[in-house]
Amino acid sequence: MTTIKDKLSPLFEAVDTFIRTPGATAPSAPYVRDHVDLKRVMVIVVIALFPCLFMGIYNVGYQVLQFQNLPTTFSGCMGIGANVVLPIMLVTYLFGGFWEVLFAVVRRKRISEGFLVTGMLFTLAMPPAIELWQVAVGISFGVIFGKEIFGGTGRNIFNPALTGRAFMFFSYPIQFSGSDSYAAIDGFTQATPLSILGDAGYGGQAVEALHQAGYSWSQAFIGLIPGSIGETSTLACLLGLFLLLITRVASWRIVLACFLGFTGASLAVMALQRPESMTYFSLPPHWHWVIGSFAYGCIFMTTDPVSSPATNTGRWIYGITIGTVIVLIRVFNPAFTDGVLLSIIFMNAFSPLIDHFVVQQHIKQRTQRNLACAAAK
Amino acid sequence: MMPGTFHIKKGRDIPLKGAAEKKIIDLPLPRTVAVQPPDFKGIRPRLCVREGDIVEAGTIVFRDKDNPVLQVAAPVAGTVQAIQRGPKRVLEAVIINVAQKQHARKGKKASKTALDRLTSDEVIHLLLKTGLWPLIRQRPFSCVPPPNKKPKNIFIKAMNTEPLAPDMDLILDEKQSEFYAGLKVLAKLCDNTLHVCLSTASQSKALLEAEDVVLSKFSGPHPAGNVSTHIHHLAPLGKGETAWYVDAQDVARIGSFFLTGQFPHEKVIAVTGEQASKCYYARTTVGAPMKALLEQEDALDVRYLSGNVLTGQDVGYEGYVHFYDTQVTVLPLGGERELLGWLRWGKNKFTFSKTFASAFDAPKKVSLDTALQGGLRAIVQNNVYDHLVPLDIMVYFLIRAILVRDWEEAEALGLLECDPEDFALCSFACPSKTDVVGIIRQGLEDLSREHAA
Repeated sequence: MTTIKDKLSPLFEAVDTFIRTPGATAPSAPYVRDHVDLKRVMVIVVIALFPCLFMGIYNVGYQVLQFQNLPTTFSGCMGIGANVVLPIMLVTYLFGGFWEVLFAVVRRKRISEGFLVTGMLFTLAMPPAIELWQVAVGISFGVIFGKEIFGGTGRNIFNPALTGRAFMFFSYPIQFSGSDSYAAIDGFTQATPLSILGDAGYGGQAVEALHQAGYSWSQAFIGLIPGSIGETSTLACLLGLFLLLITRVASWRIVLACFLGFTGASLAVMALQRPESMTYFSLPPHWHWVIGSFAYGCIFMTTDPVSSPATNTGRWIYGITIGTVIVLIRVFNPAFTDGVLLSIIFMNAFSPLIDHFVVQQHIKQRTQRNLACAAAK
Repeated sequence: MMPGTFHIKKGRDIPLKGAAEKKIIDLPLPRTVAVQPPDFKGIRPRLCVREGDIVEAGTIVFRDKDNPVLQVAAPVAGTVQAIQRGPKRVLEAVIINVAQKQHARKGKKASKTALDRLTSDEVIHLLLKTGLWPLIRQRPFSCVPPPNKKPKNIFIKAMNTEPLAPDMDLILDEKQSEFYAGLKVLAKLCDNTLHVCLSTASQSKALLEAEDVVLSKFSGPHPAGNVSTHIHHLAPLGKGETAWYVDAQDVARIGSFFLTGQFPHEKVIAVTGEQASKCYYARTTVGAPMKALLEQEDALDVRYLSGNVLTGQDVGYEGYVHFYDTQVTVLPLGGERELLGWLRWGKNKFTFSKTFASAFDAPKKVSLDTALQGGLRAIVQNNVYDHLVPLDIMVYFLIRAILVRDWEEAEALGLLECDPEDFALCSFACPSKTDVVGIIRQGLEDLSREHAA
């Protein structure tokens, strides 16, 4: 007879090894092992997200106080922000964690630390005005259909945080594209830079339109603009990127490729500009970098090792394509306010295919070399 | 001939504490020795002795069921004390109680000119008859080769890059004439090139002045000294081709047999590891017991490995050194549980990754115990393996092909060019603690069965 304790052993194991490192010794050669484990890797990603979380909390409060014409003190901003962000985070971890534990218990598998990162990524991708029940539905969908039905962390095709957010984006479009959704206060309406550009019509200058709406580049770079919690501050994302790169947890190839593809595509769009073109065409790359969730997506979402290609060539193709598709969606289809999420999830679906072609090419080269060896004999 | 030089870039060294002091000490004959059939891949053992039988040095202990010319001999004279079997009655070891008076066996001594006159068939016949043949191994599959199929090349492994591995120069320099005799004999087995692979750091006269062979020098981190690395860079194998390889010390042992006619039971084994009370080179008998090499009592919190930390086997204090091993390693067991280990700064946590502070320090000798350092998880980080294998192998896709038993794909991805030892660093570095070595080993075993069928 299995006791409750046996059934819940994945949960016990998770809590136990969270508090103290597991005591297992190597069962077979090699008899010494690297000190790194998945917990450490995941914790580093979570720590890399802290600047975004911090800036996100501050900015949520800042937007509210700004709107009310109250002085934006540091403690005031953090207080209001924490009041909004922490409940969203709590609900995310509660529901995400519940599904993770439930599936682990039913499958008798260990709980993977991946959900720590998923929860954080998901929280920071939420608009501050989101309803908590919607958060619960979204993370549940993301964890179940983005990850668990494929077998859990490491076996999924799509990034679970993105899956959840995409689901919410299509289910509750008002909360994700309305101009009242990006501050946690009733009556707030302020168009985000993306929606301003989307509605800017034809023949104008994009940068001028943004300036007119009161946005400066440095403001957008630091992240004091309305937007989803964690994605407004390019600066905070760059701090996270620094940690991810010096610890080599993220693939620099993907980030660089995505950046190059994105910048190249925005330059190409600028070059295509005619007097009668949409105003969006004229937005220079340095503005593209700091608005919307480009920095957040490019640094934290594309580099998810499970849903991105596992070959170096594949990583370049993947990154460049994501960067390009973001600009295409932004400029040519402004009905979707931001193309970042869509293009990453789109390329998640293609990454096994990209790998397949790279591997086939590798096999072809191997065969040719072996034939050449045999011929030389 | 001018040596070709190869600088290996991929791979990493694990700078463990506990290297052997460069001095060879002669040990007395051990009281028991073991012949361990699982060491000999490709041989399905049929016993030729029973408990209580008296054996001489060179008496055949078991032979292959399918190809009875493949046989393994007792290294010294004595009495068969025990025959140990494991699960499913698999033959694990034949323990021989060593006779304290070893008398020289009458054997043919060969002069150096006589060596020149030996034909290939005579060499094969002699090696098979005396049970020395298994010193030669074959790629693919790292098994004892069938004698009737000539290899494309023979590779002599005259360098070690594993952690704390013995220094070949020390071992070979006092065996120069035997080593040359061995090379001469092996050259007859192969119509093509005899490659001797040594380290760029080697000062050994025995190696640098070897004649009628191709010398190739390798530098760089482990696995620069692995046979797969050498084969890959010098003469990769095409479909259906085989290569043979022999450890340089075993070349000298083969040579010594042809020169003296005596069964070469002696072997130099490095005693290493942080927990070894004395780290040194021991001249002892093949299959010697661990406790004969170690000048210490058994302890609970210590692991005794035959071989090195990457590819060795945990044999315990009462175990025996395996046939092909040239090293034993004694390590602390480890496994103490640390509070919030994942949050530590990690000054003393050795890692190939950059996730602990130690990675940013100047390199220094480290002490590692046998802790797994984490829990088993699905593979998440897929970019750890590629920097560690200097072969043209996509490790992640290879193990995936093996796990889904897609043999066609696994072969196309180069499984036959590999040995499990080539992936030891991948197992070491994997944050998800994936048993890459085990997956490759299983894959090779299953694939060799496919090939045989």
